[in-house]
Amino acid sequence: MIIPIRCFSCGKVTGDLWDRYLSYIDRQDMNDEDAINALDLNRYCCRRMILTHVDLIEKLLKYNASEREQQRAMRQK
Amino acid sequence: MPVPSAEELTERKRIQINAETVGNAASTDFPGHWPGENHEWDLEYFKENFKVQFHTSSPLDLSFSLIGIDTSVANAFRRILLAEIPTLAIEDVYIYQNTSIIQDEVLAHRLGLIPLRGNHAALDWMKWYKKPTTDTEGSGSPSDYNTVTLMLHVRCEWQDGGLDRAAAGETDPDKLYTGHTVFASDMMWSPIGQQEALFGPDGGVEAQNPGIVIAKMRPGQEIKLMMHAFKGIGQDHAKFSPVATASYRLLPTIDISKPIVGPDAKKFARCFPKGVIALETVTEKDAGQNSELEGKQGELKAVVADPMRDTVSRECLRHPEFKDKVKLGRVRDHFIFRIESTGQYDSDHLFLESVKLLKVKCARIKRGLAQMTQ
Repeated sequence: MIIPIRCFSCGKVTGDLWDRYLSYIDRQDMNDEDAINALDLNRYCCRRMILTHVDLIEKLLKYNASEREQQRAMRQK
Repeated sequence: MPVPSAEELTERKRIQINAETVGNAASTDFPGHWPGENHEWDLEYFKENFKVQFHTSSPLDLSFSLIGIDTSVANAFRRILLAEIPTLAIEDVYIYQNTSIIQDEVLAHRLGLIPLRGNHAALDWMKWYKKPTTDTEGSGSPSDYNTVTLMLHVRCEWQDGGLDRAAAGETDPDKLYTGHTVFASDMMWSPIGQQEALFGPDGGVEAQNPGIVIAKMRPGQEIKLMMHAFKGIGQDHAKFSPVATASYRLLPTIDISKPIVGPDAKKFARCFPKGVIALETVTEKDAGQNSELEGKQGELKAVVADPMRDTVSRECLRHPEFKDKVKLGRVRDHFIFRIESTGQYDSDHLFLESVKLLKVKCARIKRGLAQMTQ
């Protein structure tokens, strides 16, 4: 759901890599392979943590009172 | 008393890697295996033969070789590195408020996995925390010498005019809310007792990776909690393990018994990772020395450049043309260690710590044996 703090298999910290991975791909136009190499992920256990992650929390954050507030503000416009 | 020749000794240390099997895997350098030879463990002999080589050394990623040591000892170092060097990690979380969509138990688990950094001497000074028991009144009370307290309080709010921007279609959370992502750097160390004097000069206790995302929130959500970090070892929970990986492999060997020349040489080099096999031109001198190279001057021949890079995939043994020309193996007493620290300690420090711990454990055994024979 949210990026795991550590690699399941070896314990390398991955919790701070997802945002960097996204910025490499979005802003610097890297492909997956270059981005994951730039993150210094060498073993395949750590690489899968980033490569196969789906950041579902962004979707779940929509179910929220502030979202309704926002809808109301949009209707009033 | 017969003394084996140097070649005989290297041959004994060589593990044979065949196409389908592995041979000569067990060590034989112990008393009673080779008739008439003395293989008693001798400190002077060990001192002469033991070598340490460094390959790459950065603070958090270290690679080096231990040569001339028994597997049992090398493996003891590895296991101590993984499971017995104490570090600090969050163990108890007291949640006052958590209205984020990360559940309490998941949040606590995530907090526990964050590697914590602090002054090394102060960490050494810290004692083990003992859980309270029902037998003894007042047991297991946290104190400055066994507990580090951290606080986390983050509330997500709309930015000024954020709601209007959201209504206008803006979706970037950085432009709409404050405190929408809880980072490990938001954890605040709150010193108790002597901790201020011990940890304080080094910046206190903080997350090794300040950018770790603990949770994400939306306006109105709040996380407020207190954390107790204790000293522990990897045997109890992997979060206490100071290394991401600590592993060793044996040095691979490649012996080319008959020359591999021409297009075969290129194919042979492709069977190995880059840099393991180099191609050299056959010179007049080579041709004179080896009858099989006669008349092949100027062609390329395969030579072993760097066997350490080999992954021992055995790919070359699948091809019939190389079958009798090459022998793969590994050196039984050459351990290539790789220690990758999670950041609390430097890798070289961790290895020395593992040596120290093994010494302590040996002293304990010695004491126990002395008591048994009394």
